[in-house]
Amino acid sequence: MRRRPIAQQAIGFLTIAPGLFLILALTIYPVGYSVWLSLLEKHSFFPEQRFIGLDNYIYLWSDAEFWTSLWYGVVYSVWTIILQILLGVAAALILHESFLGRNLARGIVLFPYMIPTIVAVILWKWLLNDTYGLLNYALMALGIIRDPISWLGADHIMLSLIIVSVWQFFPFVLLAVLARLQTIPEELYEAAKVDGASAVRRFLHVTLPHIRGILFVVILLRSIWMFTKFDTVWLMGEGAGAGRFIRTLPVYAYMRTLTYYQAGLGAALAVVMFGILMVSTVIYFGLFRREADIG
Amino acid sequence: MTAWQAWKVVARGLLYLGAVVLVFQAAFPFLWMASTSMKPPVEVFADPPYFVPKAPTWENFVRLFTSTNFLIYFWNSLTVAGLAVLLTMVVGAAGAYSLTRYRYLGREQIATLILCTYMFAPIMIVIPFFILVKKVGIENTHLALVLAFASFCLPFALWLLRAFFETIPIELEEAALVDGADRLRAVVYVVIPLALPGVIATSIFTFILAWNDYIFTRILISSDELKTLPVGVQDLFHSALIDWGLIMAAGVLITIPALAFFVAVQRHLVAGWGSGGLKG
Amino acid sequence: MRRTGWVFIPIVLILSGLSLPTWAQEKKVVRIWHTETEPQSVKAFQEIINEFEKLRPDITVRQEALAWGDLEAKLTAALAAGAPPDASHGQAVTCASFYAKGLLRPLEDVADAVGRDNIWEAIRGPCRFEGKYFGIPHSAATSLLIYRKDIFKQKGLKPPETWDDLIKVAEAMMERDKDGRVTRYGLSLPGVGLFINIMVGELTKANGGRLFDSKTGRPTFTEKPVIQVLDFYKKLSATVLPPGWLGHGYLDTFTNLATGKAAMLYQGYGRGAGLIEKYAPKEMANADHFGVLVRPIGPSGKVTAAQIDAEPWMVFKNAKYPNEAAEFLKFFFKEEHYIKYLHSVPIHLLPTLKSVRKNPAYQANDMIRRWREWQDMQYRYFEADQAKPTLIIEWADLQLPFGLEILGSAIIPDMVTDAVRGMPSQQAATKAQARAEELITKLGHKRW
Repeated sequence: MRRRPIAQQAIGFLTIAPGLFLILALTIYPVGYSVWLSLLEKHSFFPEQRFIGLDNYIYLWSDAEFWTSLWYGVVYSVWTIILQILLGVAAALILHESFLGRNLARGIVLFPYMIPTIVAVILWKWLLNDTYGLLNYALMALGIIRDPISWLGADHIMLSLIIVSVWQFFPFVLLAVLARLQTIPEELYEAAKVDGASAVRRFLHVTLPHIRGILFVVILLRSIWMFTKFDTVWLMGEGAGAGRFIRTLPVYAYMRTLTYYQAGLGAALAVVMFGILMVSTVIYFGLFRREADIG
Repeated sequence: MTAWQAWKVVARGLLYLGAVVLVFQAAFPFLWMASTSMKPPVEVFADPPYFVPKAPTWENFVRLFTSTNFLIYFWNSLTVAGLAVLLTMVVGAAGAYSLTRYRYLGREQIATLILCTYMFAPIMIVIPFFILVKKVGIENTHLALVLAFASFCLPFALWLLRAFFETIPIELEEAALVDGADRLRAVVYVVIPLALPGVIATSIFTFILAWNDYIFTRILISSDELKTLPVGVQDLFHSALIDWGLIMAAGVLITIPALAFFVAVQRHLVAGWGSGGLKG
Repeated sequence: MRRTGWVFIPIVLILSGLSLPTWAQEKKVVRIWHTETEPQSVKAFQEIINEFEKLRPDITVRQEALAWGDLEAKLTAALAAGAPPDASHGQAVTCASFYAKGLLRPLEDVADAVGRDNIWEAIRGPCRFEGKYFGIPHSAATSLLIYRKDIFKQKGLKPPETWDDLIKVAEAMMERDKDGRVTRYGLSLPGVGLFINIMVGELTKANGGRLFDSKTGRPTFTEKPVIQVLDFYKKLSATVLPPGWLGHGYLDTFTNLATGKAAMLYQGYGRGAGLIEKYAPKEMANADHFGVLVRPIGPSGKVTAAQIDAEPWMVFKNAKYPNEAAEFLKFFFKEEHYIKYLHSVPIHLLPTLKSVRKNPAYQANDMIRRWREWQDMQYRYFEADQAKPTLIIEWADLQLPFGLEILGSAIIPDMVTDAVRGMPSQQAATKAQARAEELITKLGHKRW
């Protein structure tokens, strides 16, 4: 039974229309306004505004704070992504094997992803407290360190932030990879074993090709999320004091808008973030296109 | 015992070790949180710290319920996230279906556009969004929050659902159509059941995204009784004045229902990712 | 898994979600924001609101308690969208900024209702312009130098008069275990932006310096007094502060003091008395163990300085119900209600109104009796006009239109962070000076 193409097209539009409308209204319009805002000199709560074209961007180019934030943002993203992927894949491999209590273990290990960030941050701030925190106590009791480490002080706050972020988000990678692992036919492994392949070679030649695709997607998603992550970073450091050393781009954009009260500059920072992401994504797709398999 | 057998034992041992480490790193922080929540104030700062409270007490929980709005925050989080998921899934399922089953001009462009909206940091959206919401007159309402959550849940859901729908062979629907069913019935009775694992998985992920939001709630909501958990708990943290016992109690009360819910649905998560899953 | 069961959940959610607000109400909803977030203060405030609503059934008052750090950000967002609360607390510089931009409703009628002469002279300053009140502080407090009196006495120490004295005293009160690890630090400071701003203001004033030129408003960070402030921070960091102090929150400092991990707090407040009672061992939780000292002066200074913590109540001209908010404020300041509010954090919330201070009902509070020394020290700073709001060196500084933006910008905390992390003081000051000048210029307030 064939339908007339026009009617088909119409129904097609109709079903995508609500979604498209919502996305346009809720995302594109605010983004458009942001782009417009970035061309203005505007105080965050007073109506006076002045059109200054690209001056905000020119200012950012020579703003040391901007480059520092970019650097912190990149360090944060790169480290958290690498660790999330490594731990996620390793955990998936472990939790793919059968052993007693495996299902329970899976549930427990996936759990940190489910809790609100504020709970994770508060929890870890308490564990990492330099005077009363359990981590310092354990490390000192084991003789690994002599003096307590200030995990939330200027020297280590980036490391602590990475620990918290990886702890909370690697279960996402674990889940995606685990699900994929479950669809790899057992026969492939059997055949490899018969051929005398070691565990490492089995991983490289059977497992890895199958999870490439999902890894491509997961790395992309997590990169976008970690580069634009605001709440974990803000809640850990609140922008000043030791927080100065985790003042990533999203935090800096927030500060420019809501603490310096320079809405135009804040918007310009957000646009720059978007630009960086776009360029990176294009490069990423270009390099790894064959893994993409999507659309 | 041969070297091979010995190696197998060692490998097995390492596997168990790995599993234990994984479970420990995930579970231990929560156990410590629970332990702290049951301690009276003086024990909270004991040096050296110890696990089992000497004088365990419910006072932190009692204080949480009686002198804070914690329960209200919890209820708000549930309802707002739930509504957002509902909106997202209905619109998203329709949209994803459209993107997979119909051919029309601009279809691929729309799909790419949706992916691109994903790259807008919430930071970029939140202030203009607030202004927009104020113009419509719904600032400081849950409706504004639901829409805000939809703004970042929808692209994610559309993308995931599209991938799931793509794995369902069109032949099944066509068979149903040939059998005399109209399109809608084909969808409801053929596609949805097959996509259900994927739909459930997507709902769960979407729910987590919505329930976890901090920045939109922070900016859009100013009344205490409308706050959701992330903002409410942070304000408690700042105001309760290092009442770590109280804050840990809040953490416990957020964690336990989440844990129960999660245990109930985790089968679906793994199944959902696996069955539809993204090709690759 | 039955399909029908799943259907119920969304229906229930929709129905409960439909209890969404903003249907037309006949009552006027007055929104009040404040920064007294402790549960007992919120409760006391709510009781006052309930009483007010009985008197004025046409008005509903909604209170919103915000953490100090969040208030300015939320106010900005609200003002940006033209939806400010009807009344709010704010820092003095915030009030000054808003006044300069014409956003505030004068509070002359409230001042008359409480009695113009009844307002304590020492805090008439924040937010009074051209002789008119645009903000009335909800209460008053100053920062306190809190110390372990028992250890101090035991070591036979003398009250420090200069910054160098302070370091010596703090060092003397430190303690180490047999392995040489520090078990008690001399001083604990919060590494939070707002508090660093506060302390730099205090220290600069106590060092006889200025942060901004009195005629042109140009930042004066590179002048000697401020450089000496940075040097002082460097010394403190190297000797008596815990190494991770930049990561400590305001409240961490109180725990440190209460549990004996630190011997002194430079940025203590009356609120701390309650915290000490909660967290210190019972036998120690009193003013015999935790006393207050007069703040020392810097090498270039002659007179000491403390910070005023007295957020003015402001009412916004363009809010929905400014007049009703003013009515509420008049009610709030009535003695029996005001005392209830003040008693929620006794040593910290000191009365704005002189009559209340004299009122025996106010005085008859256990905590005030127990911690009288702390209360008296605050009054001492007030009477000697040695206390000023955040970043304000002289009252005239409130005329500067960019206080709010400088406060939010983290320029000064970054300056301290840089210095403490090893940058020479002069260089850190120069860098901050350039950033501040740039910000002020961009805001359109350059007058030099």
